[in-house]
Amino acid sequence: MDIQYMIEIFPRFLLVIPITILIVVLSAIFGLMLSIPVAAIRIRKIPVLSQMMGAYISFTRSTPILLQLFLFFFGLPVLLQLIGFDIMKIDAITAAVACLIVFNGAYMSEVLRPAYLAIEKGQHEAAESLGYTPFQKMKTVIIPQMAPIALPGLGNAIIHLIHDSSLVFAIGVVDIMGMATIMSGDTFGMKQVEVFLTVALIYWGISMISEQLIRLLERRKKKVLKNTGYKLKEEEAGYSV
Amino acid sequence: MLNIEHLDLSFGDSKVLDDINLEVHKGEVITFIGPSGTGKTSLLRCINLLEKPDGGRITLGGDTYDYGSITKKETLDLRRKTAMVFQQYNLFKNKTVLENVMDAQIVVQKKSKAAARDKSMAELARVGLEAKADAYPHQLSGGQQQRVSIARALAVEPEVILFDEPTSALDPELVGEVLKTIGEVAGSGMTIILVTHEMSFAEDISDRVVFMDRGKVAEEGPPQQIFRHSNHARTQQFLRKFYTASH
Repeated sequence: MDIQYMIEIFPRFLLVIPITILIVVLSAIFGLMLSIPVAAIRIRKIPVLSQMMGAYISFTRSTPILLQLFLFFFGLPVLLQLIGFDIMKIDAITAAVACLIVFNGAYMSEVLRPAYLAIEKGQHEAAESLGYTPFQKMKTVIIPQMAPIALPGLGNAIIHLIHDSSLVFAIGVVDIMGMATIMSGDTFGMKQVEVFLTVALIYWGISMISEQLIRLLERRKKKVLKNTGYKLKEEEAGYSV
Repeated sequence: MLNIEHLDLSFGDSKVLDDINLEVHKGEVITFIGPSGTGKTSLLRCINLLEKPDGGRITLGGDTYDYGSITKKETLDLRRKTAMVFQQYNLFKNKTVLENVMDAQIVVQKKSKAAARDKSMAELARVGLEAKADAYPHQLSGGQQQRVSIARALAVEPEVILFDEPTSALDPELVGEVLKTIGEVAGSGMTIILVTHEMSFAEDISDRVVFMDRGKVAEEGPPQQIFRHSNHARTQQFLRKFYTASH
């Protein structure tokens, strides 16, 4: 094994790490934004829309992401053509981000929904009875109590997202994984182990850093959990909420 | 000061409240008694629109609201004139005792933090819990939590405080401290509408007692009349059952 080679190729990956991070950050932020109305529709059981969201969640969660990427990459131009935008091919990164946003919108909504439902009705009613607007109620009472419950699930979603983003090379995005396949080709497959091991270490590093960031938030969560008394319930139940 | 006219409420096909009319004067303490499931709590929840009545009107603090066509703005407006003390206290779990009492003053009434804090500490002193200002609700006993929720209600200076079975969820030994606090609030001239199963307390504290049966006002009058000299068969039957059950 050629460790020297691994050190040599590392800087070339630095160029594409931002691509992976861009895809992850955009998908996480807009995915979370999408998941809020999706969760709200499901919680309120709005007829028709709720069933549609149910099908959407079921579909995205039970088909391989790789397949969804292909559907977006090849399917979006067709769809756009139907509504009048004539483009032969969309940018691979755009397709990848759009796909991962849609995926996370579904995935994260299933984290938010139970977190919302875990908050007692009395908390809503207390705020309502004092004349809070729905927005004031969510901001000062409900979301602060939801956050510690939802955080582990959202953290997991982001770690999964980092890993899933490695599939976007399949539609031609040159991210970390895309770069790896190029390099592996450059050396005619001679240094495959070194290349993929380097990539594995990079993904490990990114995931570790993300986990630490999430843990910073979790420390706050522990404090809130302790204050709200949920911590006690957690210990009683013997699992982590 | 508070006037309810022709209030109707139904859940699906079942009629919960049927043409309720009620007038409450400033500083009056009105108690609702009656068998479970007769709509006492529902009526209270209709007053601040936690339940939406099918029809009727309410006048509070000089404004009249038509339940049938009430807007979101009017709903907030009406709620801001009332405060509610719940059976399960419903203190905000993510906030300290002091924050619980302060929050609505800052968020809803847009008071300054300092003014809200002063007001809140004064109300906490009134219910005897200023020492617990920095505690979180789950660290308090049920009785203490309920007293905090009374302070929270007082702090927004409502026209009327609605008490929804405020002692029903409490351990028997904690009931006394909460009743004492409610008694003091009543003594201070606050207008109170109370739903309770504490009959002797109701007799002591109320200016008027309303006996409800099957979604209607069956009888109303001064506590002496309802508890001692009721000539209404359903009232007598209810009170007899009640006294034989609890004594």
